[in-house]
Amino acid sequence: MISCLLIHVSRSPQGLPVCKDSLISGATIEIGRGAACKIHLLDHRVSQLHALIVRSENGALFINGEKNVTLKINGYIAQHAALIPGTQIEIGPYLLIVEPLAGGYDLILSIELIHPLNHTDAAKPDIPLTVAALGLSKRKFGFSLAAVILFFFLFLPMLPHFSGALNKWQASLPLTLTGAWSPEPLAGGHRMLDAKCSSCHQKPFTAISDEICTGCHKQVGRHLTKEALQDKTFHTMRCTNCHIDHKGAEQLLLHDSSKCVSCHAEIKHTLADSQLGNVSDFATGHPPFRLSLFKGDQLIRLRQDDKAGLVENSGLKYSHQVHLAKEGISTPQGDTVMRCQDCHKLEESGRHFEAMTMKNTCQQSGCHALDFTEPVEGLAPHGSEHAVMDRLREFYINWLTSAPENACQNNADTPSMLACANELADKNAAATLFRTRPLSKKDRLECGECHEIKPSGEKDVPWKVTPVRINRDWQPGAVFNHAKHETMKCTDCHDKLNSKLSADIAIPAITKCRECHSGNRPAKGMVTSGCDSCHRFHQPVK
Amino acid sequence: MNKMQGATLLKYKNFRYLKATSALILVAITAYALINPAGGESYGGTWLGYTLGTLSTLIMLLLMWYGVTKRRITGAPDRRDARRQSAPAGQERRKPHTKSRGMNGATLQEWLSAHVYLGASLVVLVTLHTGFHFGLNVHTLAYALMLLVITSGLYGLSVYLNYPRLITLNMGEETLEDLMLKINELDELARTRALGLPDEINSLIAKVRNETRIGGTLLQQLSGKQYNCPTSFGVEQLRILSEKYNRGEQPKIMRDLYSLLLRKEKLVLRARTEVMLKARMECWLYLHAPLGIALLAALTAHIVSIFFYW
Repeated sequence: MISCLLIHVSRSPQGLPVCKDSLISGATIEIGRGAACKIHLLDHRVSQLHALIVRSENGALFINGEKNVTLKINGYIAQHAALIPGTQIEIGPYLLIVEPLAGGYDLILSIELIHPLNHTDAAKPDIPLTVAALGLSKRKFGFSLAAVILFFFLFLPMLPHFSGALNKWQASLPLTLTGAWSPEPLAGGHRMLDAKCSSCHQKPFTAISDEICTGCHKQVGRHLTKEALQDKTFHTMRCTNCHIDHKGAEQLLLHDSSKCVSCHAEIKHTLADSQLGNVSDFATGHPPFRLSLFKGDQLIRLRQDDKAGLVENSGLKYSHQVHLAKEGISTPQGDTVMRCQDCHKLEESGRHFEAMTMKNTCQQSGCHALDFTEPVEGLAPHGSEHAVMDRLREFYINWLTSAPENACQNNADTPSMLACANELADKNAAATLFRTRPLSKKDRLECGECHEIKPSGEKDVPWKVTPVRINRDWQPGAVFNHAKHETMKCTDCHDKLNSKLSADIAIPAITKCRECHSGNRPAKGMVTSGCDSCHRFHQPVK
Repeated sequence: MNKMQGATLLKYKNFRYLKATSALILVAITAYALINPAGGESYGGTWLGYTLGTLSTLIMLLLMWYGVTKRRITGAPDRRDARRQSAPAGQERRKPHTKSRGMNGATLQEWLSAHVYLGASLVVLVTLHTGFHFGLNVHTLAYALMLLVITSGLYGLSVYLNYPRLITLNMGEETLEDLMLKINELDELARTRALGLPDEINSLIAKVRNETRIGGTLLQQLSGKQYNCPTSFGVEQLRILSEKYNRGEQPKIMRDLYSLLLRKEKLVLRARTEVMLKARMECWLYLHAPLGIALLAALTAHIVSIFFYW
């Protein structure tokens, strides 16, 4: 039998202990939540039967924890302990203290609820119920972001400007400091400057001056020939007005016709004695083309609507109609249908054609080989009149040397072989090479077939071939790229199929260009064409 | 702000700011379409680009000024007020602004109406300013931040227009505090009711009480859910265990407990929904305001970089 005095300790609002005694006894004393337990601890944190106080064989009292429960004896986890005064036992939220024995009891225990239930446990104060309770700071977050942005995107990109060494070093990095400021890649040639912004942007908050551009681009042609007029007209303009970089790898030139039109729409206002017509738009306000051509030895420019004056004086007789006949033309290789490209070979630039020569163009298929017909067959060079006659004379000397029986025996005035060769050469040249009239309709003229031949008045070479001057650049003030028009047939623009005379000019008129090219404003199915599509602002540097 | 207030915000003074910003956008688009920029390519460096950029910057500064004005009108504590409040006793503390009008006598609602429409108009104005040129640089960073600020703002507008109604539907006249008290009461009732039952039931009730969470981290608040919710688990378990404990008073107590946990489950769901709706109404501002400050920094870097390397 164990007799135990139980002292229930509670606390007043002031924290002072309030004790209440009760007496329990039994062979064993059960401690637990169950109603049958003598020490009844009504809390869910205590098991129905939590521990048992028993007496050992030698009379000492022990407390034994039940299976699956733990006891805390004097702060340590234990399953059983001897109940000696001062022993502290924690069972769930309760603290049991073994008090000193007195009054004849076997055991005196004080019990206090030291961990009462918090009635607001469900609304646990440490669990935030609102975003504000999370302690996030909008300002801290915002200013941190701002600081990072200012450091990486303002401070760092600015630094290289103040240190040449840093500028050079950062330009070699895979990710440059100044890269964050570059709106778009530099244009092709300028990419060599890479991330060294101060190559062009030399002064902060100051626009790039023309001197910086001309420091590298030393040879840039003016727009106007007259220097004073150039300065007067363009004194407010800077290179960067038209050449804007950071617009991608391919773009450095501003395609802005409005800048051109601002002067050229009323060109007389800028230059009273200008010979140019007013231009406002290629599609709607552009005068007929002016062609450059020789009149005699003088290069003149004529508008295409001046039909009477548009005659090419090339000094050559040539029929495109004959050469471009659909059924072909007779050649040593048989009948051949010729194409424009057989004679007109485009240069690699795609802008002009290679110069045509007798050897490369006309004799390419053996078509126009020159030959002597009297007294024996042979070839004459294609060259100056003197060269032809020298060749003829040389030929006859060789011929007379090898066959003296052919000498001019019936002529008493030609005693020498040389004189005889000259006579034969002159006679043959007059009869064949330098004939000015065909012998019959089917007869071929030799030199005169293509050239105009006039008397020279010289004794040695009494004939003169009119110099050939084939115009290669009809519109020197414009840029036209034939290579970009390869989708077209030549004869779509150049009406040469029916041209019998070399005097015919077949440069297409502006109306032909307008079939495909609109002006400054885009039009459906048309190629938008501003001033710089055909013209260049800077004159070529001479 | 309820639905009616939200509608009033958008319709403020017969759509005054909608009309104004629509006109602004229309003018900008017309100018962009009609004015052929030098070179035929639009970008921020043309005169129209500079005009749109300057206009957009001014609008942004005005929009940011709304934050300051809002604090003044609503009297929301700011750092200066906090400093004043911590000033030594005896010094006069400035009272927060309680007047309903801010700068130029405009009401907060008017400011907000202008803020919403002008903010949305920036999407058009700034995009035209860019000329549709984007890259990996500070300029596009500023643009991207602006879009994020506007997107978060539009989300905020959306929740302010819709969520108050949902909150009323969910909570009625009750508050979150009321729900929490009821949940505590139910927990306590269940705890005491279960004391006479075996440990298995008590452990379950304790688990339901201790592990059921309302609120929590930002994501937990925003989701409005708890993975494997202990209360739902408890309800399910009680239903299963009721077949096991069927002696004496046990069936009646089990029924009581089941009823208590069912009621708690509904309350927890409502409380979590409340927390979720409130979190969604608040969270956007934790992006909107900081990103606005970041945008101001990026905008500064953008403008300085343009003129530094002119």
